[in-house]
Amino acid sequence: MAPAAVFLAAFVVWPLLTFVYDSFFEIEQFGGGRTFVGLDNYGAALASEAFTSASVRTVIYTLIVVTAEFTAGLAVALLFVALGQRSATFRTIFMYPLMIAPVVAGLLWRFLLIDNFGILNQLLFEVGIISSPDQIQWLSNPDIALYAVALPDIWLTTSFITLVLFAGLQNIPGEVIEAARIDGARYPRMLISILVPLLRPVIAVALIVRGIDAARAFDIILIQTDGGPQGSTTTLSLLIYRTMTRFGEPGLASAMGTIYLVAMLVVAVIAVTAIWRPGSNKS
Amino acid sequence: MNPLEVRGKSRVMLWLLLAVTLALYGFPFIYLLLTSFKLPIDAIAVPPAVLPDTWTFDNYIAAMSREGVVPALINSVTTAVLSTVMSLVLAVPAAYAITRFRTPSGRVFIFAALITRMVPTIAIGAPLIGVMRDLGISDTTVGLAIAHTTISLPLSIWLMASFFEAVPDELDEAAKVDGCSRLQALRRVVLPVVSGGLAVTAIFAFLASWNEFLFSLLLTSVRAQTTPVVIANFQSQFGLDWGGMTALAALYSVPVILLTLFLQRHIVAGLTLGAVKG
Repeated sequence: MAPAAVFLAAFVVWPLLTFVYDSFFEIEQFGGGRTFVGLDNYGAALASEAFTSASVRTVIYTLIVVTAEFTAGLAVALLFVALGQRSATFRTIFMYPLMIAPVVAGLLWRFLLIDNFGILNQLLFEVGIISSPDQIQWLSNPDIALYAVALPDIWLTTSFITLVLFAGLQNIPGEVIEAARIDGARYPRMLISILVPLLRPVIAVALIVRGIDAARAFDIILIQTDGGPQGSTTTLSLLIYRTMTRFGEPGLASAMGTIYLVAMLVVAVIAVTAIWRPGSNKS
Repeated sequence: MNPLEVRGKSRVMLWLLLAVTLALYGFPFIYLLLTSFKLPIDAIAVPPAVLPDTWTFDNYIAAMSREGVVPALINSVTTAVLSTVMSLVLAVPAAYAITRFRTPSGRVFIFAALITRMVPTIAIGAPLIGVMRDLGISDTTVGLAIAHTTISLPLSIWLMASFFEAVPDELDEAAKVDGCSRLQALRRVVLPVVSGGLAVTAIFAFLASWNEFLFSLLLTSVRAQTTPVVIANFQSQFGLDWGGMTALAALYSVPVILLTLFLQRHIVAGLTLGAVKG
């Protein structure tokens, strides 16, 4: 245990402490001069419109991704269960996006959604849903870009939710379902009153894991829009990255990052201890 | 048989529904593959066509001959292998100690390791630039592999702990009675039993490094650059070379997809176990 602990201390805890420490300084990126400024960076972060709107965007993005994935993931998991063992091969096929790098997925979806020659609009046009192939400006209309950049994330990881829920559904005792059926429960009723409550721990885990990953999304958005148009897809990770590297304000970026870090940890610790309780069934 | 399984006529409808779902789900990647075989001019044709007019390998040849692409592919493989090895070497003894000694510090540690998975990547990545510089391993594969290990190590510990948990203590005890030390018992008796779990953990560590982007972007400039960074740079440097981009993207995805199909049972085990336990 000691080597692993030393490793994590050196390459996770120590960098994190440095990061938090930096947030109390005004740092010149070149030359390395630094001045202690106390909580000024925090004040500047909280007062900046860029930071508050990026926070809101991060929450919206996370909600879109997790809701869409959960709904689609549960539907497909139920479909797989309904089809029984013979769906095994299809489950494997369904899994493949999990292996694709987020950068590749972002690039791919940018290509599918691009304004003038994107295949998605072309298909929607041919089916007759939209009246011209460039009617929906997926990634260049600031009003919808945040939803559009979420598509690859949803595409990439719905299968994760499906697999986890499928595994959970396999573990529900058959008698419970038979009993409900004898009592005359129909499928929607059974889903809401029996399946979802029994799956609660599995659902909690899936939502926490995905929620945290979605809130950290970086590559998938960077490659599609680089935060644009007009900043409409600049989530916290992107804003902090940009504040640090392009605007050259590491101190301010660290303060923003520390707020983000604390918020994530608070949410995560509450979620983990209250809902998930990992290891509580052990020892 | 699962009581939720549907029988009778509606089964046909369900199979149909599944086929449609899978077709929609698979379409984006298939379209990427098809585009990678199109002439560059056809890749941006208006209106777009699904199938290539002329099939060609030109995009692949062009992508591979771009400066930096081959070294980046080599860097990706080396970094992922190194990171996988580091992750296993650190995680296996840690997980073994946690499950066998069951001390409170072990429980705190595994919880702490889990929490590190929830930290925003940028908050570790940015200060790691300084750490790597101090250690004299800026822009090296080793430095990047260390960074990638910070991602895979917590999950590896968690996964390995679950696998060790499933092995009864009596097995170690028997080995000790036969004259093995703790470490010998681990190496000769317990590890062979959990070899499947070891494979799962290795695959996940490898995939985490293979697909990682932010650390690679922050910590490498020329020498240690990995393919995802090159793919991202592609679009700014070469504008609308969608043919080349799709070829490189396909080239980078296909080996892991094939590997995954081959090892799919392990992947499913890891995903469901990793998710449910950690």
